Amino acid sequence: MDFFKAARRKDSGYTVIIGCGRLGASLANAISDREASVMMVDRDERAFRKLGTAYGGLTLTGDATDIAVLRSAQIERADTVVSVTNDDNTNIMVAQIARNVYHIPNVICRLYDPEREIVYKEFGIDTICPTVLSTREIDRLLGKSKEVKEA
Amino acid sequence: MQVLLIGGFDIARTLAASLLKRKYQVTAVHPDYDCCRQLADIKGLQVIHGDGSKPFILEEAGARRTDIAIALTDSDADNLVICELCKKRFGVTKTVSVIKNAENTAFFRQMGVDAVVCATNTITGIIEQLAFVHDMTALVPVGDGRVSIAEVAIPEGAPAANKKLWEISLPREVIVGCILRKDQTLIPRGDTRILAGDSLVLLSSAHQETDAIRALTGR
Repeated sequence: MDFFKAARRKDSGYTVIIGCGRLGASLANAISDREASVMMVDRDERAFRKLGTAYGGLTLTGDATDIAVLRSAQIERADTVVSVTNDDNTNIMVAQIARNVYHIPNVICRLYDPEREIVYKEFGIDTICPTVLSTREIDRLLGKSKEVKEA
Repeated sequence: MQVLLIGGFDIARTLAASLLKRKYQVTAVHPDYDCCRQLADIKGLQVIHGDGSKPFILEEAGARRTDIAIALTDSDADNLVICELCKKRFGVTKTVSVIKNAENTAFFRQMGVDAVVCATNTITGIIEQLAFVHDMTALVPVGDGRVSIAEVAIPEGAPAANKKLWEISLPREVIVGCILRKDQTLIPRGDTRILAGDSLVLLSSAHQETDAIRALTGR
């Protein structure tokens, strides 16, 4: 939850989220609840239904691998870009555009497959990988139940 | 020389056949099983079934021994990741990517992709040429399309027929590089006379070829 804490410190910031899935929508709702500016981009308009009724941010329909779409989302103004579509390659590409073309300070992307690490490692893009996170958590829970058994 | 083609069924098939004929070793990777079976009908082509943006598929396709990797999928994001993996993880010497969105060209180059081809732009360019300019047998774009080489036939009664080259007013950025006359090839000078039935090879920049062709053929 470090991200939430970090974002809370500078509520004047502008966050662009790519991909209105469960993760993207819940993140957008949380940022909007804090009354910080947020822009949600998804190529499917219907995806915006996942945003809460109280959502006070902006939405934009379009393919985020199109630089023109990112420009309409005013990406150059953003201090954080979060790319959480269901396609790893799209997330990598958007993150690289954000980092290398627009020099956004915080770029976070979600990747299902941790094997493509070499592609983004050297660019200072922060990644979250559900598989790695779940593995770590399950491992921790197993360790705990083992301790309980031993005790 | 080892070449890897990733995705893009029709282009991959034509390219593979042409490269094999020139004695390259070619491997094709495609995510669709039926497409793979059809590709496998090409004699001498090695085919790998799978998603070419996954490192283990590229490994299996022999990316480590590959000299040139060509990404032909219809997703710009996939092509970018394929080229980056080939370059950074497998040390492929040259990467080539087809892209849909021409605006991404500079970004792809910035990310280390050696050659970027925008299929849509190239094709629309050719269609425009063929549909709106008559009597042109070939137009080859060079230098990202800034310069083009065109072959123009001079019909009977064209403004340029029976005139010396210096008598024709061509746009400044166009030169007649060569005259093809029956089986002869002439490098023209100002006093060379153009005859009906000649074919001229034009070198032009900044899209001046249409004006030049109008001045030469009257169309």
